[in-house]
Amino acid sequence: MLELKNVSVAYGSIRALRGIDMVVQPGKITAVLGANGAGKSSLLRAIAGIAPVTEGDLLYRNASLKPYPAHRRARMGISLAMEGRRLFRHMAVEENLLLAWSFGPRRTPFAQAVRSVYDAFPILGERRTTKAGMLSGGQQQMLILSSVTIREPELMLLDEPSLGLAPIIVSQIFDFITAYAKARGTAVLLAEQMAVMALRVADHGYVLRGGQVVMHGASDELVKADIVSKLSAAYL
Amino acid sequence: MTFAGQLIFAGVCVGAVYALIALGLNLTFWATRTLNFGQGSLMMLCAVVAVMVFDGGFNIYLGLLAGVAVAGVIAAATEAIAIRPITRLTGSMGWVVTTLGVGIFLQGFVSKFFGSQALAFPSFLFSPRDYVSVLGVRLSAQYLIILVIALALVLLFELFQRRTAWGRALQAVAADQDLAAVMGIPVRLVVTLSFVASGLLAGVAGALVAQITGTVDAAFGFNLLIFGFVAAVIGGMGNTWGALLGGIFLGIMEKLVGGYVSTAAEQAIAFALLMIMLAVRPEGLLGEKEFVKV
Repeated sequence: MLELKNVSVAYGSIRALRGIDMVVQPGKITAVLGANGAGKSSLLRAIAGIAPVTEGDLLYRNASLKPYPAHRRARMGISLAMEGRRLFRHMAVEENLLLAWSFGPRRTPFAQAVRSVYDAFPILGERRTTKAGMLSGGQQQMLILSSVTIREPELMLLDEPSLGLAPIIVSQIFDFITAYAKARGTAVLLAEQMAVMALRVADHGYVLRGGQVVMHGASDELVKADIVSKLSAAYL
Repeated sequence: MTFAGQLIFAGVCVGAVYALIALGLNLTFWATRTLNFGQGSLMMLCAVVAVMVFDGGFNIYLGLLAGVAVAGVIAAATEAIAIRPITRLTGSMGWVVTTLGVGIFLQGFVSKFFGSQALAFPSFLFSPRDYVSVLGVRLSAQYLIILVIALALVLLFELFQRRTAWGRALQAVAADQDLAAVMGIPVRLVVTLSFVASGLLAGVAGALVAQITGTVDAAFGFNLLIFGFVAAVIGGMGNTWGALLGGIFLGIMEKLVGGYVSTAAEQAIAFALLMIMLAVRPEGLLGEKEFVKV
């Protein structure tokens, strides 16, 4: 689905990622683990086309993504949920969904697409005329996730969906992601600081440190290698 | 009473044109958080091109079409030459100077090639002597049609913005360019189109004002831009209804002061209003307070 070959990302003279090799498979959840500043967000942003790739290549369905700007990649089925509650705060819940749907592939009529969002997260249906900025943190994260799924992506890039949320909401959101990926065969690249949670749902994991991959493998191997406590020991 | 009524009516009509100019400023402000201070020269350019085409023996409407088109193209070029490189490379406020520079260049260009003499602008919508009587107040037909055109454009724009996918895309680009891009919105195209649209609006506003003043010269448009800017600030930068409200309020104040005090005070009142507004309510009458994320 997605293959990264020796990808480097730099903002001016500041290098965020160095020589990343990575494979993301359809129907599987791939976790990117690492502390703050390890380069997780830069990786996801580079794939989405909003961070500058200075070296290497990104292959999506065996073709290079490099010639395509962010909005073209979005239409090719790559959908990024950015960290930090990035949504259109001044727009109502349903307007956010409509906007996400309007510039997507529009395979399903909006009425039907929005209904399946409200079925998955009934609270969003109740608050569909509320401005997104007025929602609680958990509801905002549900809306961000729904803005991604309503586009029926083939590759979902999720940046810290658990950040700042209550554990019960986190497991609700992770359950949704897992079910969605399995049902649709969507490839998921999940960036997370909470390694325990991420490895519970992910099939594979990559560990980033200082912009480089320091370890990767199947989730259970990473758990066995005690990556969780190593990450916590090193960074917390 | 009649005199006051006429002044207020004239104020509303002129104010509607200020609202159009303010709307043009709003558009580029949304898309890029910048203002095109060359907007005034685009108004002038549109009117001059229309006169040239008309003097060349063609239909005035053809001339207006050409003028508005030229204004749209130059607006897009201004973005590409004077705004994009500045905001991308330096992230500074340099665009204030560069856009003003484009405006001054256009002024110089026009006075070099078409002379600095005022050119007569043909009446294309009624003649200055036509009027409509409403409740004993004589309303100039020209003013009235200008009011109608300006209001219709503001209304159309509001509808476009609220009801169409591209209108929402414009709002999205205004709020968060990265987020808009990952949602599949062609940000660059939206920015360019919004500059084209602001140029078209400036062109229409220029033609409407030239219709009232009857002449156009190279310096035409600069004062109007200031009034449009003040209208935008009074109403709340980026707010369409605010632009309309601010424009009409400013127009009425200007005409009342001009009628009862002195026409020389018209400009002073605009700046006084600007200063009061910025001191008392910088977000404008209808604007919302903006929280800038760090």
